[in-house]
Amino acid sequence: MSATVDRRPIGGNIWRTGVALAAAFATLAVGAGWWQVVDAQRLSREPDNPAVIAVARRALRGPIVDRDGRWLARSSRDANGEATREYRDDSISPVIGYASRQFGTAGLERSYNAELIGLGGSDAFGGLLDKFDASRRTPLGLRTTLDLRLQRAAVEALGADRGAVVMLDPTTGDVLALASTPTYDAAAIADPDTAARAFGALRDDESDPLLPRATLGRYVPGSVFKVVTAIAGLNTGSIEPGTTFEEQPEAEDKGLLVEGYRIRDGHHEQTDGTPLDLVGATEASCNIWYALAGLATGGDDLVGQAGLLGFGAPIPFDLPTAISRVTGGGGRAPGGFTDDVELASASFGQGETFVTPLQMALVASTVANDGVLMRPRLVAALTGEGPGTREIAPSTWRRVMASSDAQSVQAAMEAAVEGDLGRQFTAGAAVPGVPTAGKSGTAELGGKGEPHSWFIGFAPVENPRVAIAVLVEQGGRGGERAAPLAGSMMERYFEQYGAP
Amino acid sequence: MTAFAGARQAARWRLHPRVRQTELALLALVATALLAGGASLGAGLSAQRAIRAGEPAGAIDLMPPDLRGLLVYLVALFVVHLAFVLAGRRMDQVLLPATALLGGIGLLLMQRLPQGLVVQQFGEAVLGLGQLQLGWLLLALAVIAGLALAVRSDAWLRTYKYTWAAAGIALLLLTFVFGSDVNGARLTLSIGPLSGQPSELLKVILVVFLAGYLSENRSLLADESTRIGPIRLPPIPYLAPMVAMWAIALGIVIVQRDLGAALLFFAVFLAMLYVATGRPSYVIGGLILFIAGSWVLYTLFGHVQQRVDNWIDPFRDPLGAGYQTVQALYAFARGGLLGVGLGAGLPTIGGNLPIPAVHTDYPLAALGEELGLIGLLAILGLYLVVVERGLRIAAAAHDEFRALLAAGLSLVIAVQAFIIAAGNLKLIPLTGITLPLISYGGSSLLANAVVIGLLLALSDPGAEPPSVPRTGRRRLPALRRSSPVMPATGYEP
Repeated sequence: MSATVDRRPIGGNIWRTGVALAAAFATLAVGAGWWQVVDAQRLSREPDNPAVIAVARRALRGPIVDRDGRWLARSSRDANGEATREYRDDSISPVIGYASRQFGTAGLERSYNAELIGLGGSDAFGGLLDKFDASRRTPLGLRTTLDLRLQRAAVEALGADRGAVVMLDPTTGDVLALASTPTYDAAAIADPDTAARAFGALRDDESDPLLPRATLGRYVPGSVFKVVTAIAGLNTGSIEPGTTFEEQPEAEDKGLLVEGYRIRDGHHEQTDGTPLDLVGATEASCNIWYALAGLATGGDDLVGQAGLLGFGAPIPFDLPTAISRVTGGGGRAPGGFTDDVELASASFGQGETFVTPLQMALVASTVANDGVLMRPRLVAALTGEGPGTREIAPSTWRRVMASSDAQSVQAAMEAAVEGDLGRQFTAGAAVPGVPTAGKSGTAELGGKGEPHSWFIGFAPVENPRVAIAVLVEQGGRGGERAAPLAGSMMERYFEQYGAP
Repeated sequence: MTAFAGARQAARWRLHPRVRQTELALLALVATALLAGGASLGAGLSAQRAIRAGEPAGAIDLMPPDLRGLLVYLVALFVVHLAFVLAGRRMDQVLLPATALLGGIGLLLMQRLPQGLVVQQFGEAVLGLGQLQLGWLLLALAVIAGLALAVRSDAWLRTYKYTWAAAGIALLLLTFVFGSDVNGARLTLSIGPLSGQPSELLKVILVVFLAGYLSENRSLLADESTRIGPIRLPPIPYLAPMVAMWAIALGIVIVQRDLGAALLFFAVFLAMLYVATGRPSYVIGGLILFIAGSWVLYTLFGHVQQRVDNWIDPFRDPLGAGYQTVQALYAFARGGLLGVGLGAGLPTIGGNLPIPAVHTDYPLAALGEELGLIGLLAILGLYLVVVERGLRIAAAAHDEFRALLAAGLSLVIAVQAFIIAAGNLKLIPLTGITLPLISYGGSSLLANAVVIGLLLALSDPGAEPPSVPRTGRRRLPALRRSSPVMPATGYEP
């Protein structure tokens, strides 16, 4: 490098610095454009946005109705012109939520807050018109897919227990009932005069009524998870409907040795010491067979296939959903399991597995719908006048498995309810006169306390019309509490919509 | 003899008015824009008052936005223009109008915000936000005019660069020791009733020192005499200032907790280093140092972690740590393409502003809401105009000191505007510095007035470049032989 090069004029450097600064400012312009135009619509509809809060104070919120037009929530103005919000009854509280001045919003009142107060149709260019024409902001209503009668029946059936019931139409993904108990009085939170006391009491309530258990509660699944294991095994070819494991009968007596640890299960006397196949193992709810099926499938595939059913990520839904998981993750074994012992336990629902009732209803629904998972749909239409009104059509989420595999699982689940042995476990689930399929679960919580009582199922077996998941917290054995509850709910469904 | 001297004196002070047509036209445009803005603001505010008539009015609204204040500001602008005309210097004609418009937008914003945000009592008079800002703006205009007219030689800047550096460090140390904590950051130095933020003045001193140091050692720094493996470095002793700057920036963060100032100093330093040497490797090396330093700070300091976490996901705690960030984004979103209109933005929550620091750290969010994306782009464009003029002055300068000084002064404004705007827009973590010429605050306005005033003075090509003072005493005699310092012939455009 000669000195003359070092003496090169400074002007070029200044020019390049200027160009760099111009580029930096162009980045700022892009950033401003992002927040002010591209992402503006989403931000302008956030329930916490002060502008939204200001509009919500004045607006008459739109009505919410069930699938047949029965009102669930509605607003009116009192003598002073103040808007008041009414709710049909407590059974819908975990779905509809509440809209309060002091305590914000929850449930559908939160998810569709912008639409319900009339900010739904706004976009970057529509917003321009808003400035000149306030009448564009007409609150919209919601037509949900709920059936108020089924919703009420579910809450009644749960009674004093804490739990959840999810009923879906497997062919459309329509949510017919989304019950969670205990419920609460949303109108008391919506009323400014009683809100503070009502909300304070609910927040301090040990039974946590404000938690929508169907969508945000996460529970040990117990044997209902075996359906997921069966789907994963069949889908990856790791098992077939006829698969048997030689060591299974003996392991029922001595326990299944996995990595030096013995996984034990009660002996199924009825099976007479013969190795079981998919149908037999499901009917008898054989933990050993499912542990072996899970080990054959492997951690990666079990987690991956569960992911197809919606595990591992929030379910795209009209309400916030908790993430269901097969394992806590972070382990060194494939799929994030700690070891094969955890994988084997998870395969029959007793590992580090946690699921939401909605997730398990989707599992049942997928089996019922011949392997096609429909996106769960709670809102069928935005009603009213003005921009933003629209019908929301049912949509397919994804095909999870081949219909032949789905039929194998259907057969297994039918045996678990209608089979000779299954009937002994799951007596109450069968709907009189309607062939029913399902799987009960008894989620041991380790140590003290009654287990969670689970049932997932669908009916009728041919061309299913309703899929269901029932969870009763510490409700005892699945066959004793959840299964009869599910049976009565499906019976109720066929009373209302006609038996097949 | 005495008569001759007297005549020369008279000749020197005789007025040579020189018409500044461009400046006058642009100022007229600025005045029109500001008057229109004021009218729009008044209309917007009265409309908002009518809408909110049902609700209890905010108790903090001391004064309506006043026409008088705006007129005083406009008159002051034309007085400065007149002074420039009478002085007859051939100074840049765009800088003053651009600065005036930015300052005027700031004034309107301060008149529009709740006046109780800042209140000061002078005897009987109680002054609110808008009036205080007007006062500072008038002082700032005086500083601009004073420097632009009085500074004819830059010798006092270039000769005493180490004195300036010492003064800067002394100022910093004073703040470390005597500064008071505001919002957990030690930024404010109070002497009697006066208080200010020394880091604002420090940035000007830094540029003056760097311009002096770099112009003197430019060729040495561009040299590659030291080799460490494949890396070629300039003579190690000349790297010392770079490392020292890095250390000072870190010190400011650690002791003052002033992330913004540290980022500004370091970025301006790197940019000036590049302008002086034309070597991108310095910038890359500096960035590596910056990333390393940032990582250390992030792991060691809770407040840095909080800033960064807040930046990554402010919505995680939208009512706590992320509150201001989230509210600013909401404000930008409410503004949309065209804005909600002056005076129509910022719905209050329970009588409080959603963004508490809107007048200092977040003026851009308020302007983005009320003026929209279009207004925001115009404001960003105005900063680019100021920078473009500054760099043009730098490119046309007679010698390297003046070039580096003008470039550095422009960079200070540009980089500071970028840092706070990017922070507001969640492009980088928010660091609490002011938006130059718009934000409320005396230190900030006066420091930026010094920058503009010096740029104007440097823009006069008529001023003779002073003879380059050769100090003769080089501090590092051992290096003299390796690369002789060339006389500064300067850059010929």
